[in-house]
Amino acid sequence: MVYERRFLDRWIDLRNICRKSFYVACGEVIGDMMGKYAKKRLAVSTAVAAVGIVIALIIGLIGGYFAGSMAAAPATATVTVTKTVGAKTVTSTVEKTVEKTITSTVEKTVTSVKTVPAGPAVSRIVIGVTDKVTDIDPSNAYDFYTWEVLSNIMGGLMRYAPGTTELEPGLATGYTVSPDGKEYTFRLRPNLYFADGTPMTAKDVVRSIKRVMEINGDPAWLVTDFVKDVVAVDDHTVKFILKEPIAFFPALVATAPYFPVHPAYKPKEIDSDQTAGGVGPYRIVKWVRDVELVLEANPYWWQGAPKTKQIVIKFFKDATALRMALEAGEIDIAWRTLRPTDIQDLKGKKGIKVIEVPGAYIRYIIFNTKIPPFDNPLVRKALAAAVNRKAICERVFLGTTAPLYSMIPMGMWSHKDSFLEKYGEHNIELAKKLLKEAGYSETNKLKIELWYTPTHYGDTEVDVATLIKEAWEETGLVEVTLKSAEWTTYLEYTRKGMLGATLYGWYPDYIDPDDYTSPWVNASWTGYAYSNPELIEILKEARVKPTLEERAKLYEKAQDIWAEDAAIVPIFQGKLAVAVREGVEGVILDPTMLFRYWLIYKTS
Amino acid sequence: MLKFLFLKVTRIFSETEVASLKAFIIARALALIPTVLILVTLVFFVMRVLPGDPVIAIVGMKAPPERVIELKKELGLMDEAGNPIPLPIQYLNYLSKLVRGDFGKSLIWGKRPVLVEIMEHFPATVELAIAGFIVSIILGLVLGSLGGWMGGKTSSAVKTYGAITYALFIPWIGMLFQLLFAVWLGILPVAGRIDTGLEPPTITGLYLIDSVITGRWDSFMSALRHITLPALTLGLVISGVFTRVTRTSVEEVMRQDFVVAARARGIPEHKILLHVLKNSFVPILTMMGLQLALLMTGAVLTETTFSWPGMGTFLLERIQYRDYTTVQGTVVFFAIIVSLVNLIVDICYAYIDPRIRY
Repeated sequence: MVYERRFLDRWIDLRNICRKSFYVACGEVIGDMMGKYAKKRLAVSTAVAAVGIVIALIIGLIGGYFAGSMAAAPATATVTVTKTVGAKTVTSTVEKTVEKTITSTVEKTVTSVKTVPAGPAVSRIVIGVTDKVTDIDPSNAYDFYTWEVLSNIMGGLMRYAPGTTELEPGLATGYTVSPDGKEYTFRLRPNLYFADGTPMTAKDVVRSIKRVMEINGDPAWLVTDFVKDVVAVDDHTVKFILKEPIAFFPALVATAPYFPVHPAYKPKEIDSDQTAGGVGPYRIVKWVRDVELVLEANPYWWQGAPKTKQIVIKFFKDATALRMALEAGEIDIAWRTLRPTDIQDLKGKKGIKVIEVPGAYIRYIIFNTKIPPFDNPLVRKALAAAVNRKAICERVFLGTTAPLYSMIPMGMWSHKDSFLEKYGEHNIELAKKLLKEAGYSETNKLKIELWYTPTHYGDTEVDVATLIKEAWEETGLVEVTLKSAEWTTYLEYTRKGMLGATLYGWYPDYIDPDDYTSPWVNASWTGYAYSNPELIEILKEARVKPTLEERAKLYEKAQDIWAEDAAIVPIFQGKLAVAVREGVEGVILDPTMLFRYWLIYKTS
Repeated sequence: MLKFLFLKVTRIFSETEVASLKAFIIARALALIPTVLILVTLVFFVMRVLPGDPVIAIVGMKAPPERVIELKKELGLMDEAGNPIPLPIQYLNYLSKLVRGDFGKSLIWGKRPVLVEIMEHFPATVELAIAGFIVSIILGLVLGSLGGWMGGKTSSAVKTYGAITYALFIPWIGMLFQLLFAVWLGILPVAGRIDTGLEPPTITGLYLIDSVITGRWDSFMSALRHITLPALTLGLVISGVFTRVTRTSVEEVMRQDFVVAARARGIPEHKILLHVLKNSFVPILTMMGLQLALLMTGAVLTETTFSWPGMGTFLLERIQYRDYTTVQGTVVFFAIIVSLVNLIVDICYAYIDPRIRY
């Protein structure tokens, strides 16, 4: 017992630590009294506990497996396609000429409103994204993904026909334009209801748009730059009075700031997490920021409830996890943004479809024409000629992007390959000639810095910059130093006009050539990098010319001037890719980049 | 023997010790203040000295200049007249708010109070940290004591294990787990915290506990399935340190006289191991406290890999948006939590080793 006692002494010292020494020691004393039996019991109980843990683990794993397959089952097993309504019947496109009024073909679908269909139990589609939702409030949301969500829980007077860049009537049945082109009068559909059954009238449209103007958030300029006033003529008629005749006004009306919102939105401040929505195919039933967004079919929608009852959007932090979640069947659709390599990989996978569509997002180089040596047009032209667009598209983006030779993207009316006509593709000879003309030689090289931002445009950015550098240096007359700055810094330096050559990208606000030209000319955010009085005049004129032909001509001219000046050089146009599991149908994408959840459904 | 015990117990609760312990706790708690203050100051100035205008980052490059000025006023960067407020004044303003428990409001998306946002994300991190911690302790203690006990080849194998796991890169090992368990075997989910619609009612904010309290078995299973991979990843990486410390500590205690004596007297090995473990517990406990800091940084990477909606992903995201107030608030919050944990560890440590006296 002597050694026991010594140990006990030590033990007690330790047990004091937890202030539970008394109880533990008592246990030990009792154990001691039980003598040898205690040891056996200890051994037996340890063995039993170990076996127990192993069994629990096995049960847990098996249970987990079954729980998982059970949880997944309803998502995959229910094949319920509600009646096909509306969407396909809408074929009318907007005539760009002002005299005509759009007549609707959709009114017949409104009859079912106000009766809540029993609907399928659950037909659910899960979409995974790495994007973020910013403000679920059209008065301040100004990013593509949030606009996508908004366009599924709300709607504008006009909208883009799925799969096209053509406008069609949304909440309105059509519009008329005054002879001077300054007044647009929209006629609303009868029987419009918000997702909770509250009727929507012209007053709601006016209230929502005035709200955007008053809050004056980030996208408010889409309204305030063009609209002087908006009035409700009667319950079903809204009149916009414009500052100047704007030919593309119906396209503006299709953007998020023009969406009518539910009266629940705070009248004078941004309501970031408001879930009341507007008049759209879905309503939000659950919203946990950065985790998930659950949308449920809106039974009151004017086109009738959409095909899929429930849309769940899961927010991923990581593109790799997004891809794996698709492969594991946790999500049905992997949307923005998969890595090019993942897209390439998924193309060959069984049970997965990759759908590609041209996107309207573009990438370009800005040369600040106020900073030497970029104030010299010869230098800019030489650099524009030397860029190797095909190499970038193929080597960095594995063919998921396409070379672009104009700021106005391919597929949009008036697009013209002005840069290709003028400089060709990867034209080293021309670049050499121009550089020599500008006074540079093998011994007196042109030394420039090319700036890029490492994460904002994805991990691929450094590769893009490197390939541009390689192409320029191929002339043998240029020496390029690559420099990078984090996004906020990058923007600030650019705004202050400190950077000579920078890489930027553009997502459209409205699908019109105006949105691909005006924002760069004499723009403060670029540090006034580029300005040309002639171009400014042309662009101004193009805004207000009433017919498409006249406008197209002006934009073609503008593109030629653009290429001649070579201050802002287009590089490539993005393609969108979405990967879906087999059985998911109705994925219709177009350059607006807005995914219409109300068209997708599952067949098996 | 009972008398002996009684003496021991009374000694612990004796007046003097409790008093000096109180003094120790108070002193340590006071020491928290300068620690946190230094951190706050550092974060405040670093965030502002860095190039890049947060306002432009928030409103975007297409925003009109009036809006930029408006937001600057709102953020306390400019006074009503539109003049910039000097940095030292901004700092004092911030401190005076902070001591009143006002962490400020977020600069983006609804401008919600920072504390509210933190409290929404904190439980997720706590849950993951605890789960990861449990995994690492189990792995660390079992392997470490095995190595220390067996010696020889086992010991060096355990040593290698410690080195390898310590050097593991969380996103990489996390990805391997995702690939193996989710994509290939299909038994565990890739990412997220729980299946849609299965969230238990919030009581503690820890899904595993809440679902047990409310008796929702399906929620519990879903939460368990979701936490398994992140916890394994985090636990595995942190277990390296535990293994090492446990092994060394056990080896050291094994060399002590009492072990030799106990063996000489024919005490069964398993009983000796129990004694050895208890004696080698001091450094392990210290390491546990220290690991909490690593646990937090580890949580950032683990959370990103598994899209776990906790403090790590939250902080990372807000840093990207240069959301000053939220980043400051979160870092201060972290500092307080880590300091508090260290305080508790210190107190425990002072108990364990009587030589460390206040």
